[in-house]
Amino acid sequence: MRVLIVEDEPTIASQLAAALGSAGYAVDRADNGIDAHVLGSNEPVDAVILDLGLPQLDGLTVLKKWRAAGRTMPVLILTARDNWHEKVAGIDAGADDYLAKPFHMEELLARLRALIRRAGGHASAELTCGEVLLDTRAARVSVGGVMLTLTSHEYRVLNYLMHHPGQIVSRSDLIEHIYAQDFDRDSNTVEVFIARLRKKLPDGAIETVRGLGYRLVGP
Amino acid sequence: MIGGGFSAPAWRGSLRLRLLLGTLGWIALTIVVAGLALGGLFRQHVALQFHSELTTHLDQLVAHLIVDENGQPSLSAAQSDPRFSKPYSGLYWQVDRLDSEAGNAVGLLRSRSLWDDVLRLPADTPGNGELHQHRIAGPDDSTLSVLERVVSIEGAAGLAGRSFRLVVGADEQQLSAPVERFSGMLWLALGLLGLGLGLAVVIQVWVGLAPLKRLRGALAAVRSGNAQQLAGRFPAEVQPLVDEFNTVLAQNAEVVERARTQAGNLAHSLKTPLSVIANAASSDTGELAQLVGAQVELARTQIDYHLSRSRVAASLRVPGARTMVAAVLDGLLRVMRRIHADRELELVVHPAALPAVFRGEAQDLQEILGNLLDNACKWAGRRVEVSLAVRDGELLITLDDDGPGIAEGERQRVLYRGERADEQVPGSGLGLAIVVDLTRLYDGSVELAESPLGGLRVRLTLPAAV
Repeated sequence: MRVLIVEDEPTIASQLAAALGSAGYAVDRADNGIDAHVLGSNEPVDAVILDLGLPQLDGLTVLKKWRAAGRTMPVLILTARDNWHEKVAGIDAGADDYLAKPFHMEELLARLRALIRRAGGHASAELTCGEVLLDTRAARVSVGGVMLTLTSHEYRVLNYLMHHPGQIVSRSDLIEHIYAQDFDRDSNTVEVFIARLRKKLPDGAIETVRGLGYRLVGP
Repeated sequence: MIGGGFSAPAWRGSLRLRLLLGTLGWIALTIVVAGLALGGLFRQHVALQFHSELTTHLDQLVAHLIVDENGQPSLSAAQSDPRFSKPYSGLYWQVDRLDSEAGNAVGLLRSRSLWDDVLRLPADTPGNGELHQHRIAGPDDSTLSVLERVVSIEGAAGLAGRSFRLVVGADEQQLSAPVERFSGMLWLALGLLGLGLGLAVVIQVWVGLAPLKRLRGALAAVRSGNAQQLAGRFPAEVQPLVDEFNTVLAQNAEVVERARTQAGNLAHSLKTPLSVIANAASSDTGELAQLVGAQVELARTQIDYHLSRSRVAASLRVPGARTMVAAVLDGLLRVMRRIHADRELELVVHPAALPAVFRGEAQDLQEILGNLLDNACKWAGRRVEVSLAVRDGELLITLDDDGPGIAEGERQRVLYRGERADEQVPGSGLGLAIVVDLTRLYDGSVELAESPLGGLRVRLTLPAAV
């Protein structure tokens, strides 16, 4: 899952990036409204954490532009301005949640998980596909009740597939959603991660659809 | 009205009464003086005419008098005025012979109008050619104004000269009747004029002062919250006042807005470093980190509390604020549905389209209802209901939820600042305290009770705008 952090205060942005990174997200960062607009419009991000007071272009305007252009990724507004009229303005501009500073990192992560889950149409924090169970809150995977040990990148790939069960996910989709934009991408690494996952998961859990990509199938 | 202890007369208190009394008084005075002056002038004119008429008649009488050899007077021609021939017509003449030896012969010749009366004049003897005027009693109890003249005629051919007194008199009724008639007409005309002027004054005062009444209406509208500025064009004498007042209102609103923005900027600029500190501390489990975390939380609640208080204290100084309750509720419900999307709550407002208007700032109502709704949604099981009513200038808002509610003994305590009934549900815990403060500043009230839905009921009373 790829998350765009739009925050002009560098310390907070770094703290957020660190926390999201260790929670298994690929993180893109923008520290002004123009960059945020470009990234959010062109990159397939799965969620946005958006500060409102931004240089060059304020957060609400960026959000309205995304929504006007048909971008539907969930957006969590993270701001010091938490009056109710500001919350109403934020939600009316198209935000999906609103968190006031100062905030607890755990609460932010919980809300972000819920937003991504809801965007994928999942009601529960635990995603299942056959015997495979992925707990988004704890970033843990088990098969038939047995815990799996996954590397961060393996978890990211599986997490994305679990959010889109039964759908064909192309290699480039996977790359887009597990790596941040400025990451040195190598499409072969995806094949490596898939191969490692297949060893850890039940047989046939991940199908290869020739020429198109991969599909997670239930039993 | 201004203090009852004031003993100033009523006219000083009312511009209208002052103008009316002043102008009407002057009109009355002017009309009386004009009436008296015109009446006097006319009386003088009539008297002069009367006198000159009598003189003319007397001159005619003198001219017609002839005396024969025996000293008997007669008239060479009849007097021309027909009134001399009509009995008791009010115009008379008479010729007396004055003779110190043989005695005076009164009424030797007299006009037919005297019939068998004679004019009895006081016994004075004017010199030859002199005119004397008298008022004497005449026939029919009338008072006559008479003019007498003594004419001496030289005796012809050795005869002794004789003196005659020629008298012309007229009933004074003839003098006073036209004066009275004229006076009657004059006072009637002046009365009508006065009435017309008075009416004009009343209308003018009423029309002239109408803008003041309009101004009062506009001020009342600002005071009651129906307008933010004095609306409408006023006459050139009043408009500067209105413009000044509007400028003061606008400046006031601007100062308030600026103070509010600065307080907000200060608070928000503090929150970002607080976030940094809190996040840095949260990655550590040491004693210092815990201390920092707790203090950051405290600082945050203090900032929120005082920010919202300062905002409200400022916003109350802005007159004329009105807020549609339905619009605020709609916005907040959109937020609730989105923020609490996981909960699949039923949020109901009834009646849905009540045109209730809150007399105050939209942001304040948003703060009050936002905090209450957010609380209700956090605790509710499935359902939150909001009901609106307007009664006696008060806005009654009731929020119900089907959550666990608050025990009766606890309700008072949670209304106080910074206290939470349960630390489990995230939130500053200041929500209710801010609501209590805000409603109190608007002279409203918040009560907690048990909801028919099973959870908490919050009853809110706020001023409504008409």
